[in-house]
Amino acid sequence: MFRAWNPAQPEITDLLVRHDAGTLERLPVRKQDVLDVFVGFRNLQALRAVEALPTCDGFLDPLEIDRLFVTVHWEMQRLSEEFYHGPRVYEVVRALIATIRAGGFSGPLRVVDVGCGIGYNIRWLAARTPLASQGVELTGVDLNSALVAEANRLSAVEKLPCRFLYGDAFSSDHSGQIYLSTGVIHHFRGGGLLDFLRRHQRPEAYAFLHFDFQPWFLAPFGSWFFHLLRMRTRVSRHDGVLSAARAHSADTLVQAARAAAPEFASGIYGAKIWHTPFPRVFHTLIGVRRPLLPKLKTHLGRLAPRLGLLQ
Amino acid sequence: MRLLVLYLLALLDGLLCGVRVSMGRCALIHKRSYYARALVRGLLGAQAVSTIALLALLFAAAVSSHRAELRADLEGAASRMLWIFVPYAIAVLGSLALRMIPSTDLRSATSVFALGPFTAIRPAIMIIGALYGISASRLLETRFLGLFVLILMLSLEYFLNRSAGRQQVREIHQLIGARD
Repeated sequence: MFRAWNPAQPEITDLLVRHDAGTLERLPVRKQDVLDVFVGFRNLQALRAVEALPTCDGFLDPLEIDRLFVTVHWEMQRLSEEFYHGPRVYEVVRALIATIRAGGFSGPLRVVDVGCGIGYNIRWLAARTPLASQGVELTGVDLNSALVAEANRLSAVEKLPCRFLYGDAFSSDHSGQIYLSTGVIHHFRGGGLLDFLRRHQRPEAYAFLHFDFQPWFLAPFGSWFFHLLRMRTRVSRHDGVLSAARAHSADTLVQAARAAAPEFASGIYGAKIWHTPFPRVFHTLIGVRRPLLPKLKTHLGRLAPRLGLLQ
Repeated sequence: MRLLVLYLLALLDGLLCGVRVSMGRCALIHKRSYYARALVRGLLGAQAVSTIALLALLFAAAVSSHRAELRADLEGAASRMLWIFVPYAIAVLGSLALRMIPSTDLRSATSVFALGPFTAIRPAIMIIGALYGISASRLLETRFLGLFVLILMLSLEYFLNRSAGRQQVREIHQLIGARD
């Protein structure tokens, strides 16, 4: 079990879909290549999960992989629902929008969910909040076309005022004023984390908030127990726990953000529960343009104490 | 009366099983009608299980040569079972009631510290409750009936889950297959 928690290894889902870096065209993935990665880590749990995946001539069947991703993301949405993630996102996004507006920005605002998957955050914001009617464009961007298609299907079924796009969230076509993500940032390691944060320094970007697991010694055990109970696929049970083990510490996130995106004042939001020493399951790397910082504290209101030191 | 309470607890368990197996299988935001259908499926499943249990009980009573003694023995077993099942049900319902308080942290905490663990120990609670119930029974019929009902209740979630899983696979195959 503990070999599956080794944070040096990638998650299974990181390896099942590959894209050409230039064209973003999907590339075939050899099952043996994926297995070899986990053989190197002697991760039997991952090997069993990958072994069970269907192939065509040694390559992972793309249709089945797409089905697996949608299944896994439906399951993940359940966790977001149980953790009331939509309201958690909204309470900060609302304060950020008020802060940006108070700072004099009167144009259309776009919220971009980076690596949105099936778009739960954005669809929740579209369904449950007045943001869209207030002129806020709600968008999600992902590199997985099957998940983007599913996000668009779901929003169409419920006629939600939001949209989901395939591609690079930081490209000129898809960029926005507020970037957010959930459970994405730990996928960026080392220099990749710096590159990811550096890309926020677009002139149109005013703020970012990235929610992810908060690492502490009980997190992988709690995650293991919870995923065992709540998740049904082998892949999600494996990756969910490994995500908790791979999560970046607050120090790593803050140092990376301050080094890579110095135009933003950055820090951690919502690390502890009710002023106790107990950590929340998720903490949030938050960054705002420096002139907006005093107003953000005002607009967070009673939630302002959750804001750590931003600099 | 005690058998009636056990029956009501079985229905409650069916309702919760129905919701549990449906969670994570629908990614819409507005899911009230989806969960309502899941509740009905769970309720019908529990009703089916209860009906089978009732038929078994009536059969046992019909073939028994000591009906009055059997009835008393069954009531005694049911009483003992309730000592296990009622506190568990109160704890589960109490956790659900806590979610009425509009605090995201408190609501999340009920998932992590209450509903999750309660789901995990549900099979153990059922086994302990049934075994404790029949442990002091004098009649073999009571013991068989207790074990039979235990197996029925444990299998309820399995069958509901299997049914929901098949439905989900069909749905996802239609979605993804239709796109390509």
